[in-house]
Amino acid sequence: MEKRLFRPIALILAVMLSVGAKAQNEVAMADVMRENGKIYVVVAVVAIIFAGIVVYLISIDRKTNRLQKQVDELKK
Amino acid sequence: MVKQLVALLRKDVLLEFRQRYALFSILLYVVATVYISYLIFSNIKDVRTWNALFWIILIFASINSAGKSFSNESENRFWYYYQLASPQAVILSKIVYNTLLIWIISLITYIIYSWFLGNHVTNHLHFLAVVLLGSASFSGILTVVSAIAVKTNNNATLMSILSIPLLLPAVIIIVKASQLSLMGMSMAQNGAYLAGLLVLNLLVTAMGYLLFPYLWRE
Amino acid sequence: MKKNWWKVLAIVLILYSLIAGFLGDVPRRDILNESIRNLYFHVAMWFAMIAMMGASLGYSIKYLSGNHLNIDARANLFAEMGLVFSILGITTGSIWAKFTWGAFWTNDAKLNGTAITILIYLAYFILRGSLDDREKRARISAVYNVFAFVLMIVFIGILPRLTDSLHPGNGGNPAFSQYDLDTNMRWVFYPAVVGWILFGIWVSGIRYRLYSIKESLDQWRNDSSDQLH
Repeated sequence: MEKRLFRPIALILAVMLSVGAKAQNEVAMADVMRENGKIYVVVAVVAIIFAGIVVYLISIDRKTNRLQKQVDELKK
Repeated sequence: MVKQLVALLRKDVLLEFRQRYALFSILLYVVATVYISYLIFSNIKDVRTWNALFWIILIFASINSAGKSFSNESENRFWYYYQLASPQAVILSKIVYNTLLIWIISLITYIIYSWFLGNHVTNHLHFLAVVLLGSASFSGILTVVSAIAVKTNNNATLMSILSIPLLLPAVIIIVKASQLSLMGMSMAQNGAYLAGLLVLNLLVTAMGYLLFPYLWRE
Repeated sequence: MKKNWWKVLAIVLILYSLIAGFLGDVPRRDILNESIRNLYFHVAMWFAMIAMMGASLGYSIKYLSGNHLNIDARANLFAEMGLVFSILGITTGSIWAKFTWGAFWTNDAKLNGTAITILIYLAYFILRGSLDDREKRARISAVYNVFAFVLMIVFIGILPRLTDSLHPGNGGNPAFSQYDLDTNMRWVFYPAVVGWILFGIWVSGIRYRLYSIKESLDQWRNDSSDQLH
């Protein structure tokens, strides 16, 4: 789709859709499929992955601090 | 400082005038490139392609010409200038010199290019204004980058690597501005882009003025 | 804990953005559908990148007025962190673009800006690599950093205003417009940005400490080898 035409077309679509805006489900979103609980699985997975990364980060932070202290000791 | 600037500028211009090495070698480069383009394209009917190719040739000609601005000076001569002139005078004189050089090159490129590949320009003043402002911005950016690159050992490749990304903002403004001028718009309508180019030139010169002293000391 | 509160804050903020990012309400927009949630992640990367590059710029300027090599090390590390964020931003943006705009890459002002930013900073690292003398490397790359950053800001800030763009809310103004930054989204987006910035500072801090340990070891090794001779 040409860049030039994108905005007019999007605008027309938006206007057409806003006519039925009272009924919230005009724009296809993940409501039904998600709100039956599966969204929480997604959140749990993402949170666990992030937690794993954070644990790793904390461990290397601690190791670096220990190394730094050792070096500072030796420097004296 | 102005006296130093004028003196340095005169030195560069006189050197060039006597040898004409830089000017003619770049002109030869331009003629060769235009001729290759002629052999490939014959006659460019599409305005956008015409414009694009013109600027590509001019970009690489500018990189070749301004890229050598500092590498011609030997180590000893640099020390000599260091004693005599302020760094600001040196960088400004280089920028002015490169701008004049690139202006001459771009005008001649325009003539040769039109000769071989046709001319789609309706409003000459407008297009030439874009060409002059645009090539001046190339000169400013390339002079400062050349000052940076000359401090390293592998000049040529590094010069291209450093300069091409930094030229791109100027290039994008220039291409838009020149397309508008070719489409027949008046200079007033093109005002935003032309003003943008002018601001870019001033900004780059100001940055060179502020930063060169740090490059200068050894 | 007093020293590390901001690290905990980083974790909390990012975790919050991850959870609220999926569970929270978002405006319903055509074309974007649920992917509008990508705002919290993809766009946050760009804001974090700008912050990292800004920090790098700050340290470069500080180096030019002080000449301590440690300052230059920080400038380098922040630039590297910024590059990481920018690569993450550009790949996530590409994938997002494929699904919403139909192509991995388009001729859009913002995309040009990001590609050029990455090229500029890659050139920065190549410049650093080509200079051996440490003081010279620090000084020359600091000058390049300042020059390139200013041009980059001109490019990212000013050019999108001059041209049309596929990005939502742009077509003249690269700042967020009412069209795509709903008040609800602000509550998740800004914390996410702060969280990722703190995260970037955290990682850079660890890398800086590793650098300084290596420096001490090198110095120690040199000193002891001098003593042997």
